Amino acid sequence: MSLLSKPWLWSWVAAAVAFSLTLGLTSGRGAGELAYAALSFGAFAAIVGLGQMLVITLGPGNVDLSIPATMTLSATLALKAMGSDPNTAMLGLVIALAVGLGAGLANYALIFLLRLPPIIATLAASLVYQSLAIWSNRGLRIKPPEGLADFSTGRFLGLPNVAWVGLVLAIVVWVVLERSVWGRWLLATGQDLRVARLAGVPVELVRATTYTSVAVFASLAGYLLASFSGGAALNMGQEYLLMSIAVVVIGGTSIAGGYSNVPGVWGAALFMFLVVSMLNSYGAGAGVRNVLTGTIIIAIVIAASTRRART
Amino acid sequence: MTISKMLLGAASLAMATGMAHAESHMADTSDMRIALSNNYAGNSWRQAMLQTWEETAEEAVAEGVVAAADAYTTSENQATEQAAQIQNLILQGYDAIVLNAASPTALNGAVKEACDAGVTVVSFDGIVTEPCAWRIAVDFAAMGREEVDYLASRLPEGGNLLEIRGLAGVFVDDEISKGIHQGVEEHDQFEIVGSVHGDWAQDVAQKAVAGILPSLPEIVGVVTQGGDGYGAAQAFEAAGRPTPLIVLGNRQDELQWWAEQRDANGYETLSLSIAPGVASLAFWVSQQILAGEEVPKDLTVPFLKITQDTLDEALETTPEGSVANVVYTLEDAKEVIAEAK
Repeated sequence: MSLLSKPWLWSWVAAAVAFSLTLGLTSGRGAGELAYAALSFGAFAAIVGLGQMLVITLGPGNVDLSIPATMTLSATLALKAMGSDPNTAMLGLVIALAVGLGAGLANYALIFLLRLPPIIATLAASLVYQSLAIWSNRGLRIKPPEGLADFSTGRFLGLPNVAWVGLVLAIVVWVVLERSVWGRWLLATGQDLRVARLAGVPVELVRATTYTSVAVFASLAGYLLASFSGGAALNMGQEYLLMSIAVVVIGGTSIAGGYSNVPGVWGAALFMFLVVSMLNSYGAGAGVRNVLTGTIIIAIVIAASTRRART
Repeated sequence: MTISKMLLGAASLAMATGMAHAESHMADTSDMRIALSNNYAGNSWRQAMLQTWEETAEEAVAEGVVAAADAYTTSENQATEQAAQIQNLILQGYDAIVLNAASPTALNGAVKEACDAGVTVVSFDGIVTEPCAWRIAVDFAAMGREEVDYLASRLPEGGNLLEIRGLAGVFVDDEISKGIHQGVEEHDQFEIVGSVHGDWAQDVAQKAVAGILPSLPEIVGVVTQGGDGYGAAQAFEAAGRPTPLIVLGNRQDELQWWAEQRDANGYETLSLSIAPGVASLAFWVSQQILAGEEVPKDLTVPFLKITQDTLDEALETTPEGSVANVVYTLEDAKEVIAEAK
């Protein structure tokens, strides 16, 4: 029963069930279309989810609430700098990632220097980032350069390019967590901060790099999402606040920290898209849809956590 | 820069003539102060709204129509936060508060306090139900009905429709959707086969449409609430489906897409929306109330309609990446007031 004890399994099972229930309605028609859409939109949730997973792994009280604002700010500044000119995609990417780096360092500075709880620090910082985004461009929507727009909506070997980016990132994060010293430090810090410190783990360095990574991931997601959907909008990141936390929890990562789960994040990201598609396809109203989505999420979290407790 | 200067010049000229009328038979408002209490700034519509308010206010203050017209926006779109803001504005001694409310009912207590303190309260877009306040409302249900009427005129045979709604649980979303469903009842050749919530955000709409499309039969028309038409078009394109007749909103990228489609294959549609310039209308209405004009409590704003014939004109006057807008003058405000009487 070693497979059943894997906490990531449940998000993939749930995604598969939602997928087949949707197709049950159309008797199999549109399977490729739906899978392609799920991979495209799931990629954005997966990228921010991977970042959030690292932060949540740091232990209780660690969460980054500035993800939406970081996405908006980096996308806004990057698209403004590119100004729809061809051959500026790299410049835009560098700017977006630099904004992410800056936001991550600023978040950590608030947490470390002012000793603010991460929830307060990142929430307060997000108001600043959002205001900067508003102030820098007053909500004007600038189109991405054509080549970049084509890349972000294009496909390679049948899979969406954004999904490839998300997959590569997931593999990198997985290798770092499983095979590198830094990954071990992160897990140790999440399991017990004090013990880790006494054992000689540079916990503050781990925390700093983690908060920086999540912001850089968010800025990458923002850059891709803005290129994908034809420009940055001030409210573009909004739904990724709860989404990033949901995919981590559904994916089987321990909310108490110390245990992360990379494949589960991708399964959960696909599930979050597919469950809404399924309920929309069955014509469920907004109220029913929210109640059912919530119930299903609770069910998956219970299924995943009881399995872990038993083994 | 020259164009914007010309526009400013034209606006001030219009205002000067308006003022001449206003001052001839009404109380002087030149020492009065008006505040804008706004609940949200996080999208391009609200940004255009704030910009219009700023321009109108700056001109009015420069011309000496009012002493001040400051804008205040709450950061979290919460009714409690806005109620506290209104109380502050009362204490600061503003003569009128122009209000875009976070909730139609939750601010009634604070609005009542303002009225009792002798402050004129004019709500617009997000209106309040407190009877002492004025309401500049949009007939959202009529907007929904008009969308279906238009589809019926273009597609007499009818067919399947996809509805893209706004933010679940918000009054405006319910009203527009109600109008759309009334329209579909009236034109029973149409059937709504799918309904998704796009949260008035393009990327959310695109995602929701992409998710429901595989399970839908052929779609002839898409009814929207504005801001989501371009996302819907992209989702149809990504799914390799023919582009249906999409009723659009007033965002520049939607209009640009419409113009491109028109030039490429003669695509024809309609754009219905609320102009963010409604803030300038609310400004002038509150100024008129302060000046002693008898103004009915319920006023209606016309919605902004762009047709095939006016598309090029609208695109020319809309800054890239922004939303199509109308700035209302004192004359417009008087007309709206006269109509309501």
